[in-house]
Amino acid sequence: MRIPILKLYNCLLVSIQWELDDQTALQFQEDLLHKIHETNANGVVIDLTSIDFIDSFIAKVLGDVINMSKLMGAKVVITGIQPAVAITLIELGISLNDVLTSLDLEKGLEKLKQELGE
Amino acid sequence: MDIQSCVNIQTEWDIVAARQLGRNVAKELGFGVVDQARITTAISELARNIFIYAHKGRVCIEKMNDKGHAGLRIIAIDSGPGINDIRLAMEDGYSTSGGLGAGLPGVKRLMDEFQIVSSPGKGTEITAIKWIR
Amino acid sequence: MNSLIINYIDNHKEHILNLWVEKMKEKADDRVLRVVSNQVFVGTSREFVEMVTSNLNDENEEYSERLRDFAEKVVKLGWPISFVTEGIQVFSTIVYDGIKDEKLINEEDEMKLFYGLHKWTNPMTNEIVNVYSTTWERTVSLQKIALQELSAPLIPVFDGISVMPLIGAIDTERAKQIMENLLNGVVKHRSEVVLIDITGVPVVDTMVAHHIIQAADAVRLVGAQCMLVGIRPEIAQTIVSLGINLNQVTTKNTLKKGMEAALEIMKKKMIQVGEISEDSNSKII
Repeated sequence: MRIPILKLYNCLLVSIQWELDDQTALQFQEDLLHKIHETNANGVVIDLTSIDFIDSFIAKVLGDVINMSKLMGAKVVITGIQPAVAITLIELGISLNDVLTSLDLEKGLEKLKQELGE
Repeated sequence: MDIQSCVNIQTEWDIVAARQLGRNVAKELGFGVVDQARITTAISELARNIFIYAHKGRVCIEKMNDKGHAGLRIIAIDSGPGINDIRLAMEDGYSTSGGLGAGLPGVKRLMDEFQIVSSPGKGTEITAIKWIR
Repeated sequence: MNSLIINYIDNHKEHILNLWVEKMKEKADDRVLRVVSNQVFVGTSREFVEMVTSNLNDENEEYSERLRDFAEKVVKLGWPISFVTEGIQVFSTIVYDGIKDEKLINEEDEMKLFYGLHKWTNPMTNEIVNVYSTTWERTVSLQKIALQELSAPLIPVFDGISVMPLIGAIDTERAKQIMENLLNGVVKHRSEVVLIDITGVPVVDTMVAHHIIQAADAVRLVGAQCMLVGIRPEIAQTIVSLGINLNQVTTKNTLKKGMEAALEIMKKKMIQVGEISEDSNSKII
């Protein structure tokens, strides 16, 4: 199953709605980079509101895709990380430093605009 | 009165099956949302370790009751290459697979009790317990 | 054998009581004597001896009820459990010695007497220990709940700004609770800035600092930011001398300064409306 990636003006919107297995996560990494290349988007918002746990593998895939997007000139904001997910990530020892975060999709888009200087 | 259910780990999909089993049992036992996430994440880490390093093994989830205190025990067993230096494997940031190296020390922090027995060439058995607060 | 013991106790009640009080006063530490007056001590002792005696006469049910009442009373008085159990031992020794001294039994029966007293005092000791431990367990669980309720609330102050005052010592268990409250509150109230006020935290050691840093990281993950306020001079000193790195967290010495900084982040400002003077009737509503 593939995660849909939507284009909104010069941004890409991704909402992950179900539990990520390893294949889906890797597929998503590939799809997102292709989409950035295709659309020349300079911002990405990934919404994780429906995700109720993230292990170190998925965290690594997410961290990687953020850095890869940065290399391609697109800024990424992660939104809607649940309290339980944040606590487990911190306890695992993953703090995702340098990652932009926002409370929800709306604030994420605002932050992206701010970061892109619009 | 311990009830045990197990998932054999052979493919990536079994990792998903193992953590779903864990989450269901945790929910059943009445763990809070945060503890459910802790348990699910710990199972995912342990199952993935089996898949990556030993290729096959087994993850078991056990309901526990110790003097009226309920808890959940995760047992991850494999007969893979084993861990040469457990102390090194328990260090943050140490990884032989290019991962984040958060797996084992992370699981220890997520759970209340953690025990690891490993002999090189024979396999590894990890037991981790979470008590209901 | 029982009737012999009962008769002896009944006939020598006052004598036994006096002896007992005297012996127990020697044993009682300051703790007991400080909390109760002499009168209460003697009164309670009398009750104790009477209760101990009644064990031999009363029906079982009635007796266990009286025993429980008495034990609860003693707990309230603050008598240490060791003192009470010792009291039972002393009592049985007094009776044993008394009966022996008056030569009410011959030597062969001494063993029987000893065993009879033993059989009689044992359940008593058990029951008292039982009542004590139940009382303690109840107290501990009540205190645990009270402590949990003490755990920090998150107070929304303005749109997007919340404050969490922390009061009292922080251990791992409480730190976890605080973290959950903090994150759930931030998400629930959609707070973009949260001020953690540690004015009421007596000691900030490496462990507490570690929890604060973790909390700040977690707050960042859910999409908000954290500010640490209420840092007293001695806290600043310990933090630096312990080599704790709080660089990732914005810190301010007072809640007031923190609030100003938070308003700035939210691009908000507080302004004074109208002049405050006695002759003007303009009021801010």
